[in-house]
Amino acid sequence: MRWTAIAALALAAIVAPASAQDSMDQAARTEKFAELPYWPGYWVSEYTIGTTIGGAAPALAEARERGDTSFFRNFMSLNGGGASWNEEGRARLAEVRAAARGRKADGWGFPMMMNAATPIVFAITPELVIITNSYGETRHIYTDGRPMPDELDMWPTVYGTSVGHWEGDTLVIETRMVSTPSDYFHGAPPYSEDAVYVERLRLEGDRLIGDYTVTDPTYLSEPFHTQVSWLRDEGFDRMIQIDWDNDRTSFDGEFNTIEAEAVED
Amino acid sequence: MNKFGILAAVAGLGMLAPTVQAHHSNAMFDTSREVNMRGVVREFQWSNPHAYIQMVVTEEDGTETEWSMEMGAPMYLYARGWRPRTLRPGSVINVRAHPLRSGEPGGVVVDVTDADGNEIGTNQ
Repeated sequence: MRWTAIAALALAAIVAPASAQDSMDQAARTEKFAELPYWPGYWVSEYTIGTTIGGAAPALAEARERGDTSFFRNFMSLNGGGASWNEEGRARLAEVRAAARGRKADGWGFPMMMNAATPIVFAITPELVIITNSYGETRHIYTDGRPMPDELDMWPTVYGTSVGHWEGDTLVIETRMVSTPSDYFHGAPPYSEDAVYVERLRLEGDRLIGDYTVTDPTYLSEPFHTQVSWLRDEGFDRMIQIDWDNDRTSFDGEFNTIEAEAVED
Repeated sequence: MNKFGILAAVAGLGMLAPTVQAHHSNAMFDTSREVNMRGVVREFQWSNPHAYIQMVVTEEDGTETEWSMEMGAPMYLYARGWRPRTLRPGSVINVRAHPLRSGEPGGVVVDVTDADGNEIGTNQ
Protein backbone atom coordinates (compact mmCIF):
# COMPACT_ATOMS: atom_id res chain seq x y z
CA MET A 1 0.00 0.00 0.00
CA ARG A 2 2.78 2.39 0.97
CA TRP A 3 4.62 1.75 -2.27
CA THR A 4 1.44 2.24 -4.18
CA ALA A 5 0.91 5.65 -2.59
CA ILE A 6 4.49 6.69 -3.27
CA ALA A 7 4.21 5.59 -6.84
CA ALA A 8 0.98 7.56 -7.23
CA LEU A 9 2.59 10.72 -5.83
CA ALA A 10 5.61 10.30 -8.07
CA LEU A 11 3.35 9.85 -11.08
CA ALA A 12 1.35 12.93 -10.14
CA ALA A 13 4.55 14.98 -9.88
CA ILE A 14 5.54 13.91 -13.35
CA VAL A 15 2.15 14.39 -14.91
CA ALA A 16 1.11 17.70 -13.33
CA PRO A 17 3.50 20.04 -15.19
CA ALA A 18 2.78 18.22 -18.42
CA SER A 19 -0.95 18.63 -17.83
CA ALA A 20 -0.57 22.37 -17.40
CA GLN A 21 1.46 22.53 -20.58
CA ASP A 22 -1.11 20.35 -22.28
CA SER A 23 -3.85 22.78 -21.24
CA MET A 24 -1.93 25.68 -22.73
CA ASP A 25 -1.29 23.72 -25.88
CA GLN A 26 -4.92 22.73 -26.04
CA ALA A 27 -6.05 26.36 -25.76
CA ALA A 28 -3.68 27.41 -28.54
CA ARG A 29 -4.79 24.47 -30.61
CA THR A 30 -8.44 25.35 -30.10
CA GLU A 31 -7.70 28.83 -31.44
CA LYS A 32 -5.97 27.35 -34.47
CA PHE A 33 -8.89 25.01 -34.99
CA ALA A 34 -11.33 27.93 -35.03
CA GLU A 35 -9.35 29.63 -37.78
CA LEU A 36 -9.48 26.63 -40.11
CA PRO A 37 -11.99 26.14 -42.90
CA TYR A 38 -14.70 23.58 -42.30
CA TRP A 39 -15.74 21.41 -45.21
CA PRO A 40 -18.36 19.08 -43.73
CA GLY A 41 -20.38 16.69 -45.80
CA TYR A 42 -19.93 14.03 -48.43
CA TRP A 43 -18.36 15.44 -51.52
CA VAL A 44 -18.77 13.85 -54.92
CA SER A 45 -17.05 14.76 -58.15
CA GLU A 46 -19.39 17.18 -59.85
CA TYR A 47 -20.00 14.95 -62.85
CA THR A 48 -21.34 12.18 -60.58
CA ILE A 49 -24.10 14.29 -59.06
CA GLY A 50 -27.35 12.36 -59.12
CA THR A 51 -25.70 9.03 -59.91
CA THR A 52 -28.49 6.55 -60.45
CA ILE A 53 -28.98 3.07 -59.05
CA GLY A 54 -27.52 1.74 -62.28
CA GLY A 55 -24.34 3.65 -61.58
CA ALA A 56 -24.85 6.13 -64.41
CA ALA A 57 -24.00 9.79 -64.10
CA PRO A 58 -26.89 11.74 -65.65
CA ALA A 59 -24.94 14.98 -65.90
CA LEU A 60 -22.56 13.30 -68.32
CA ALA A 61 -25.38 11.92 -70.43
CA GLU A 62 -26.99 15.35 -70.54
CA ALA A 63 -23.69 16.96 -71.48
CA ARG A 64 -23.25 14.45 -74.27
CA GLU A 65 -26.74 15.18 -75.58
CA ARG A 66 -26.11 18.91 -75.72
CA GLY A 67 -22.62 18.38 -77.12
CA ASP A 68 -20.89 20.03 -74.18
CA THR A 69 -17.38 18.70 -74.56
CA SER A 70 -16.04 21.03 -71.88
CA PHE A 71 -18.06 19.09 -69.34
CA PHE A 72 -16.47 15.89 -70.52
CA ARG A 73 -13.03 17.33 -70.00
CA ASN A 74 -13.97 17.45 -66.34
CA PHE A 75 -14.90 13.76 -66.38
CA MET A 76 -12.12 12.02 -64.51
CA SER A 77 -9.78 14.74 -65.73
CA LEU A 78 -7.13 13.50 -63.32
CA ASN A 79 -6.69 10.45 -65.55
CA GLY A 80 -4.19 12.52 -67.49
CA GLY A 81 -5.94 12.25 -70.83
CA GLY A 82 -5.34 15.95 -71.36
CA ALA A 83 -1.72 15.94 -70.25
CA SER A 84 1.23 16.67 -72.53
CA TRP A 85 2.96 13.31 -72.59
CA ASN A 86 6.39 13.05 -74.11
CA GLU A 87 7.12 10.34 -76.65
CA GLU A 88 7.90 7.76 -74.02
CA GLY A 89 4.88 8.83 -72.03
CA ARG A 90 2.54 8.50 -75.02
CA ALA A 91 3.77 5.01 -75.69
CA ARG A 92 3.34 4.13 -72.07
CA LEU A 93 -0.17 5.61 -71.94
CA ALA A 94 -1.21 3.68 -75.06
CA GLU A 95 0.17 0.48 -73.61
CA VAL A 96 -1.66 0.94 -70.32
CA ARG A 97 -4.96 1.81 -71.97
CA ALA A 98 -4.73 -1.14 -74.34
CA ALA A 99 -4.18 -3.46 -71.41
CA ALA A 100 -7.05 -1.94 -69.44
CA ARG A 101 -9.76 -3.92 -71.18
CA GLY A 102 -11.39 -6.18 -68.68
CA ARG A 103 -8.71 -5.50 -66.15
CA LYS A 104 -9.70 -5.59 -62.53
CA ALA A 105 -8.63 -2.85 -60.18
CA ASP A 106 -7.66 -2.76 -56.53
CA GLY A 107 -9.39 0.53 -55.83
CA TRP A 108 -9.06 4.08 -57.09
CA GLY A 109 -5.72 5.03 -55.55
CA PHE A 110 -4.22 8.50 -55.81
CA PRO A 111 -4.84 10.70 -57.70
CA MET A 112 -8.03 9.06 -59.01
CA MET A 113 -9.71 8.81 -55.60
CA MET A 114 -10.01 12.61 -55.79
CA ASN A 115 -11.91 12.34 -59.06
CA ALA A 116 -13.78 9.08 -58.76
CA ALA A 117 -17.27 7.73 -58.39
CA THR A 118 -17.17 7.79 -54.62
CA PRO A 119 -17.92 10.43 -52.05
CA ILE A 120 -15.00 11.76 -50.06
CA VAL A 121 -14.86 13.45 -46.67
CA PHE A 122 -12.38 15.93 -45.25
CA ALA A 123 -11.36 15.85 -41.59
CA ILE A 124 -9.45 19.06 -40.97
CA THR A 125 -7.34 19.58 -37.87
CA PRO A 126 -4.50 22.03 -37.25
CA GLU A 127 -1.88 19.36 -37.71
CA LEU A 128 -3.42 16.99 -40.19
CA VAL A 129 -6.04 16.76 -42.91
CA ILE A 130 -7.44 13.34 -43.59
CA ILE A 131 -9.27 12.60 -46.83
CA THR A 132 -11.05 9.30 -47.12
CA ASN A 133 -13.61 7.67 -49.40
CA SER A 134 -16.14 4.87 -49.27
CA TYR A 135 -13.55 2.30 -50.29
CA GLY A 136 -11.48 2.86 -47.17
CA GLU A 137 -8.87 4.73 -49.16
CA THR A 138 -7.22 7.36 -47.00
CA ARG A 139 -4.79 10.20 -47.45
CA HIS A 140 -2.93 11.80 -44.57
CA ILE A 141 -1.82 15.37 -45.28
CA TYR A 142 0.42 16.80 -42.59
CA THR A 143 -0.12 20.51 -42.05
CA ASP A 144 1.97 20.91 -38.91
CA GLY A 145 4.76 22.68 -40.72
CA ARG A 146 6.96 19.69 -41.31
CA PRO A 147 8.87 19.53 -44.56
CA MET A 148 8.53 16.73 -47.06
CA PRO A 149 10.40 13.74 -45.61
CA ASP A 150 13.87 13.04 -46.89
CA GLU A 151 13.82 11.02 -50.08
CA LEU A 152 15.58 8.18 -48.29
CA ASP A 153 12.72 8.07 -45.78
CA MET A 154 10.07 7.59 -48.47
CA TRP A 155 9.20 4.89 -50.91
CA PRO A 156 6.45 4.67 -53.54
CA THR A 157 3.00 3.93 -52.19
CA VAL A 158 -0.48 4.01 -53.69
CA TYR A 159 -1.39 7.26 -51.91
CA GLY A 160 2.08 8.77 -51.77
CA THR A 161 3.45 11.02 -49.05
CA SER A 162 1.77 14.38 -48.55
CA VAL A 163 2.52 17.57 -46.68
CA GLY A 164 0.33 20.64 -46.81
CA HIS A 165 -0.19 24.15 -45.60
CA TRP A 166 -2.93 26.73 -45.62
CA GLU A 167 -2.77 29.86 -47.73
CA GLY A 168 -5.76 31.66 -46.30
CA ASP A 169 -8.67 29.29 -46.91
CA THR A 170 -6.84 27.33 -49.57
CA LEU A 171 -5.29 24.01 -48.66
CA VAL A 172 -2.10 23.49 -50.64
CA ILE A 173 -0.89 19.90 -50.79
CA GLU A 174 2.29 18.50 -52.23
CA THR A 175 2.42 14.77 -52.80
CA ARG A 176 5.38 12.69 -53.84
CA MET A 177 6.39 9.07 -54.16
CA VAL A 178 3.13 7.83 -55.61
CA SER A 179 3.54 4.39 -57.11
CA THR A 180 2.48 4.28 -60.76
CA PRO A 181 -1.24 5.06 -60.48
CA SER A 182 -2.28 2.89 -63.42
CA ASP A 183 -0.83 -0.16 -61.70
CA TYR A 184 -3.57 0.16 -59.11
CA PHE A 185 -6.46 1.38 -61.20
CA HIS A 186 -6.51 0.77 -64.94
CA GLY A 187 -8.07 4.15 -65.70
CA ALA A 188 -5.40 6.11 -63.85
CA PRO A 189 -2.48 7.90 -65.48
CA PRO A 190 0.81 6.00 -65.83
CA TYR A 191 2.94 8.68 -64.20
CA SER A 192 6.36 7.74 -62.98
CA GLU A 193 7.22 7.50 -59.33
CA ASP A 194 9.13 10.77 -59.72
CA ALA A 195 5.94 12.71 -60.40
CA VAL A 196 5.08 15.58 -58.07
CA TYR A 197 1.45 16.46 -57.47
CA VAL A 198 0.39 19.87 -56.18
CA GLU A 199 -3.22 20.47 -55.21
CA ARG A 200 -4.88 23.73 -54.25
CA LEU A 201 -8.26 23.04 -52.65
CA ARG A 202 -10.72 25.72 -51.65
CA LEU A 203 -14.41 26.28 -51.11
CA GLU A 204 -16.26 28.53 -53.53
CA GLY A 205 -19.84 28.86 -52.37
CA ASP A 206 -21.24 25.35 -52.20
CA ARG A 207 -18.59 23.99 -54.54
CA LEU A 208 -15.22 22.65 -53.56
CA ILE A 209 -12.60 23.37 -56.20
CA GLY A 210 -9.27 21.67 -56.68
CA ASP A 211 -6.57 22.97 -59.00
CA TYR A 212 -4.06 20.27 -59.84
CA THR A 213 -0.58 20.48 -61.24
CA VAL A 214 1.34 17.33 -62.00
CA THR A 215 5.00 17.46 -62.92
CA ASP A 216 6.60 14.30 -64.22
CA PRO A 217 10.00 14.81 -65.86
CA THR A 218 10.00 11.19 -66.97
CA TYR A 219 6.78 11.06 -68.96
CA LEU A 220 5.39 14.59 -69.32
CA SER A 221 6.84 17.23 -71.59
CA GLU A 222 5.34 19.98 -69.46
CA PRO A 223 3.36 20.19 -66.20
CA PHE A 224 -0.23 19.04 -66.44
CA HIS A 225 -2.84 21.42 -65.06
CA THR A 226 -6.44 20.46 -64.49
CA GLN A 227 -9.31 21.28 -62.20
CA VAL A 228 -11.67 19.05 -60.26
CA SER A 229 -14.84 20.19 -58.57
CA TRP A 230 -16.98 18.54 -55.95
CA LEU A 231 -20.51 19.09 -54.74
CA ARG A 232 -22.51 17.64 -51.88
CA ASP A 233 -24.95 15.12 -53.26
CA GLU A 234 -28.13 14.12 -51.49
CA GLY A 235 -28.79 10.94 -49.57
CA PHE A 236 -25.52 10.42 -47.72
CA ASP A 237 -25.69 10.49 -43.94
CA ARG A 238 -22.42 8.81 -43.02
CA MET A 239 -19.36 7.35 -44.62
CA ILE A 240 -19.76 3.63 -45.08
CA GLN A 241 -16.58 1.94 -46.14
CA ILE A 242 -16.89 -1.20 -48.18
CA ASP A 243 -14.00 -3.16 -49.65
CA TRP A 244 -13.36 -3.20 -53.37
CA ASP A 245 -14.09 -6.90 -53.23
CA ASN A 246 -16.31 -7.73 -56.17
CA ASP A 247 -14.77 -6.38 -59.34
CA ARG A 248 -16.37 -8.64 -61.95
CA THR A 249 -15.11 -6.68 -64.93
CA SER A 250 -14.02 -9.04 -67.68
CA PHE A 251 -13.36 -8.96 -71.41
CA ASP A 252 -15.06 -11.12 -74.03
CA GLY A 253 -12.63 -10.39 -76.85
CA GLU A 254 -14.62 -7.47 -78.16
CA PHE A 255 -16.18 -5.72 -75.20
CA ASN A 256 -15.76 -5.56 -71.51
CA THR A 257 -18.31 -7.76 -69.86
CA ILE A 258 -19.47 -8.98 -66.48
CA GLU A 259 -17.56 -11.95 -65.22
CA ALA A 260 -19.84 -14.92 -64.86
CA GLU A 261 -21.28 -15.68 -61.47
CA ALA A 262 -21.53 -19.40 -60.86
CA VAL A 263 -24.98 -20.67 -60.02
CA GLU A 264 -24.95 -22.43 -56.69
CA ASP A 265 -26.63 -25.81 -56.51
CA MET B 1 -47.22 -20.96 -68.49
CA ASN B 2 -43.78 -20.91 -67.02
CA LYS B 3 -43.21 -20.23 -63.40
CA PHE B 4 -41.79 -16.83 -64.08
CA GLY B 5 -41.05 -16.50 -67.72
CA ILE B 6 -39.45 -13.77 -69.64
CA LEU B 7 -41.94 -11.02 -70.09
CA ALA B 8 -40.64 -9.17 -73.06
CA ALA B 9 -37.29 -9.77 -74.54
CA VAL B 10 -35.68 -6.94 -76.38
CA ALA B 11 -37.16 -3.68 -77.53
CA GLY B 12 -35.49 -1.06 -79.64
CA LEU B 13 -35.03 2.10 -77.62
CA GLY B 14 -32.92 4.38 -79.66
CA MET B 15 -34.39 7.41 -77.94
CA LEU B 16 -32.78 6.61 -74.63
CA ALA B 17 -29.97 8.88 -73.57
CA PRO B 18 -26.61 7.20 -73.37
CA THR B 19 -25.33 6.57 -69.91
CA VAL B 20 -21.82 6.76 -68.62
CA GLN B 21 -20.40 4.80 -65.79
CA ALA B 22 -17.23 5.67 -64.01
CA HIS B 23 -15.48 2.50 -62.89
CA HIS B 24 -15.55 0.94 -66.32
CA SER B 25 -16.69 1.91 -69.76
CA ASN B 26 -20.39 1.56 -70.41
CA ALA B 27 -19.64 0.20 -73.86
CA MET B 28 -20.25 -3.35 -72.66
CA PHE B 29 -23.97 -2.55 -72.42
CA ASP B 30 -26.22 -1.93 -75.38
CA THR B 31 -27.99 1.19 -74.18
CA SER B 32 -30.13 1.28 -77.33
CA ARG B 33 -31.91 -1.87 -76.18
CA GLU B 34 -33.74 -3.01 -73.10
CA VAL B 35 -34.64 -6.37 -71.67
CA ASN B 36 -37.46 -6.89 -69.22
CA MET B 37 -36.76 -9.87 -67.03
CA ARG B 38 -38.92 -11.47 -64.37
CA GLY B 39 -37.18 -13.84 -62.04
CA VAL B 40 -36.20 -14.85 -58.56
CA VAL B 41 -33.46 -13.15 -56.60
CA ARG B 42 -30.73 -15.64 -55.79
CA GLU B 43 -28.43 -13.09 -54.22
CA PHE B 44 -28.19 -9.34 -53.92
CA GLN B 45 -24.48 -8.60 -53.89
CA TRP B 46 -24.00 -5.39 -51.93
CA SER B 47 -20.44 -4.96 -53.08
CA ASN B 48 -17.89 -2.57 -54.53
CA PRO B 49 -17.21 -1.32 -57.09
CA HIS B 50 -20.64 -2.48 -58.24
CA ALA B 51 -23.61 -4.16 -56.66
CA TYR B 52 -25.21 -7.03 -58.55
CA ILE B 53 -28.61 -8.62 -58.58
CA GLN B 54 -28.15 -12.31 -59.25
CA MET B 55 -31.55 -13.43 -60.48
CA VAL B 56 -32.71 -16.74 -61.88
CA VAL B 57 -35.02 -16.52 -64.87
CA THR B 58 -36.99 -19.50 -66.07
CA GLU B 59 -37.32 -19.53 -69.81
CA GLU B 60 -40.29 -20.90 -71.76
CA ASP B 61 -38.68 -24.31 -72.18
CA GLY B 62 -38.13 -24.53 -68.45
CA THR B 63 -34.44 -23.77 -68.62
CA GLU B 64 -33.21 -21.69 -65.73
CA THR B 65 -30.71 -18.97 -66.51
CA GLU B 66 -28.96 -16.84 -63.96
CA TRP B 67 -28.59 -13.21 -64.89
CA SER B 68 -26.11 -10.74 -63.44
CA MET B 69 -27.71 -7.33 -63.27
CA GLU B 70 -25.17 -4.65 -62.54
CA MET B 71 -25.88 -1.62 -60.40
CA GLY B 72 -23.87 1.28 -59.04
CA ALA B 73 -21.68 1.29 -55.97
CA PRO B 74 -23.33 0.68 -52.58
CA MET B 75 -22.75 4.23 -51.34
CA TYR B 76 -24.71 5.63 -54.26
CA LEU B 77 -27.39 2.98 -53.88
CA TYR B 78 -27.62 3.90 -50.20
CA ALA B 79 -28.01 7.55 -51.14
CA ARG B 80 -30.92 6.59 -53.37
CA GLY B 81 -32.66 4.72 -50.57
CA TRP B 82 -31.47 1.21 -51.25
CA ARG B 83 -30.22 -1.10 -48.52
CA PRO B 84 -28.55 -4.53 -48.56
CA ARG B 85 -31.87 -6.13 -47.70
CA THR B 86 -33.90 -4.21 -50.24
CA LEU B 87 -33.83 -7.39 -52.30
CA ARG B 88 -34.02 -10.69 -50.47
CA PRO B 89 -33.22 -14.14 -51.83
CA GLY B 90 -36.35 -15.82 -53.12
CA SER B 91 -38.15 -12.59 -53.95
CA VAL B 92 -39.78 -12.32 -57.33
CA ILE B 93 -38.79 -9.14 -59.12
CA ASN B 94 -38.93 -7.53 -62.52
CA VAL B 95 -35.79 -5.88 -63.82
CA ARG B 96 -35.57 -3.64 -66.82
CA ALA B 97 -31.99 -3.47 -68.02
CA HIS B 98 -29.69 -2.62 -70.88
CA PRO B 99 -28.25 -6.00 -71.89
CA LEU B 100 -24.64 -6.95 -72.39
CA ARG B 101 -23.56 -6.62 -76.00
CA SER B 102 -21.88 -9.97 -75.71
CA GLY B 103 -25.21 -11.74 -75.43
CA GLU B 104 -24.30 -13.18 -72.07
CA PRO B 105 -27.04 -13.10 -69.44
CA GLY B 106 -26.31 -9.76 -67.86
CA GLY B 107 -27.05 -6.09 -68.07
CA VAL B 108 -27.12 -2.80 -66.25
CA VAL B 109 -30.24 -2.01 -64.27
CA VAL B 110 -32.68 0.63 -65.43
CA ASP B 111 -35.40 -0.08 -62.89
CA VAL B 112 -36.66 -2.74 -60.54
CA THR B 113 -40.23 -3.54 -59.54
CA ASP B 114 -41.66 -6.14 -57.21
CA ALA B 115 -43.82 -9.09 -58.24
CA ASP B 116 -46.87 -6.85 -58.35
CA GLY B 117 -45.17 -4.21 -60.44
CA ASN B 118 -44.60 -1.75 -57.61
CA GLU B 119 -41.46 0.32 -58.06
CA ILE B 120 -38.50 -0.59 -55.92
CA GLY B 121 -36.03 1.67 -57.65
CA THR B 122 -35.43 3.40 -60.92
CA ASN B 123 -32.72 5.10 -62.89
CA GLN B 124 -35.11 7.60 -64.36
